[in-house]
Amino acid sequence: MLEMLSYDFMQRSLWAAALVGAICSMIGVFVVLRGLAFVGAGTAHAAFAGVTLAYLVGLPPLPLAILFGLATVWVTGVMEEKGQMKLDVSIGILYTATMALAILFIGLMKGYNAEVYGYLFGSVLSVTPEELRTIWILGFIVLCIMVVFSKELYFIAFDQEMAEASGVPARQIFFLLLSLIALTVVVSLKTVGAILVFAMILIPASTAYQLTHSLSHMTAYSVVIGIVCAVGGVMLSYAWNLPSGPAIVLLATTLFFLSALFSPKRLKRAAAL
Amino acid sequence: MGTPIIRFSHATFGFPGVIALKDITLEIAEGEFVGIIGPNGSGKTTLCKAVLGLMRPLEGSLQIFDCSCEELRCHHRARIGYLPQKGRLDQNFPITVLEAVMMGRYGALGLFRRPAKQDREIALQALANVGMQDHHDTALGHLSSGQQQRVLIARALAQQPQVLLLDEPTTGIDITTQHSVLDLVRRLHRDLGLTVLLVTHDINMIRPQVDRMVLLKTRLFAAGAPEAVLKLDILQQVYGKDLVITEKDLIIVEDYHHR
Repeated sequence: MLEMLSYDFMQRSLWAAALVGAICSMIGVFVVLRGLAFVGAGTAHAAFAGVTLAYLVGLPPLPLAILFGLATVWVTGVMEEKGQMKLDVSIGILYTATMALAILFIGLMKGYNAEVYGYLFGSVLSVTPEELRTIWILGFIVLCIMVVFSKELYFIAFDQEMAEASGVPARQIFFLLLSLIALTVVVSLKTVGAILVFAMILIPASTAYQLTHSLSHMTAYSVVIGIVCAVGGVMLSYAWNLPSGPAIVLLATTLFFLSALFSPKRLKRAAAL
Repeated sequence: MGTPIIRFSHATFGFPGVIALKDITLEIAEGEFVGIIGPNGSGKTTLCKAVLGLMRPLEGSLQIFDCSCEELRCHHRARIGYLPQKGRLDQNFPITVLEAVMMGRYGALGLFRRPAKQDREIALQALANVGMQDHHDTALGHLSSGQQQRVLIARALAQQPQVLLLDEPTTGIDITTQHSVLDLVRRLHRDLGLTVLLVTHDINMIRPQVDRMVLLKTRLFAAGAPEAVLKLDILQQVYGKDLVITEKDLIIVEDYHHR
């Protein structure tokens, strides 16, 4: 098993998986608590549309993925704020619209492009040194911003109106959170793919939610679970020759069901009844 | 009476096509305990949002701490401790009592500053003020409704506010706890010298507690000492046939109690 660590591509894969696991699971805490689960899914598909457009016109995929992701979350955020439409409705429309755009762009390409499908399903084992460097830089920026604004992010997750009434610039922090979700999705696209990145945001945080009554503990548990699932999934995929993205997500899902089954919160509640 | 710190001058609030409060002229002085009453949809919560700087007047003006609400900045808002209407709290939200109360410090701290030991001490003192110091490590969702209200009042106190704004603090809790919450608010008003604005449906409960009452029904119908506001002709204008006054002088409003 340890021989895998002697390969450069495996070292890169494990680093990429650990970093993506950490970022997704940390932003996931705010996504789960603020009820923004669908935003993660919608943003992932919007970013994928950006990737396909980039390949179609011959541009680097990252800037367009960021542009599509940010545009989607900002449009939905503004529409909700102005009371024009609920967040889940507007993200649902943009989700399907951007997915339709992605399929259209793929249809316009000449021939089959394996790299594009790598962004859809994830290909952590083929992460290049340049891609790993990009993941490190973007991931570091996202993590730093989350740590710096963590108290405000926790407060708007608890009660945004109360946060604003207490003197926290809640509106700006909400848009910062939406932007961080978009950036996290883009950072993770190559590793777990547009379809499964949503699971990496949601599942470790939901697993941690089962285990504790404390915000700080939930965040710590979520990050540990995210890293363990991402790194463990890559190792399993190497050992059993499985596709890496599904291996990561299915390992996370298994942990989620185990935590739901043996949740101290639920067991305590059941004992109290 | 102290210096006025909240001044409505012919202020109208609402959304395009909907007027929630019209032509309100009212002053709240420092150190006052004011009860805000009125039927459902009378604009009580709008008044709260206006004082919090979350709504701007469509017409007229509103001054809070000597600055207009358009100029109200985050540090001004941090001087108003707010207890929102009950029912918004997610009982499963993973948060301990101390974590919830510490959030009261965040507005005053501002961006980029982390809570220090001193902030934790302020939060623990706020918990002690509401008699919940022994529960600091308990999950908020595990507490009774009355205890949760106390914790949320402590969160507001942790801001070290000048004004305490309470929106229906006794709704949805049993009668004994209602009295204990109101006694607590009265004690905080007296001991900490807080200006208190208390929005409620329960006229009888707050009548002996407050210095002044403000009666709203989109417009300001009356403001003054409870005995001056709670007159049959005034109340009938506002509540109409929903109003019942018993022989023991209890005021019962059908639209609230029978829903």
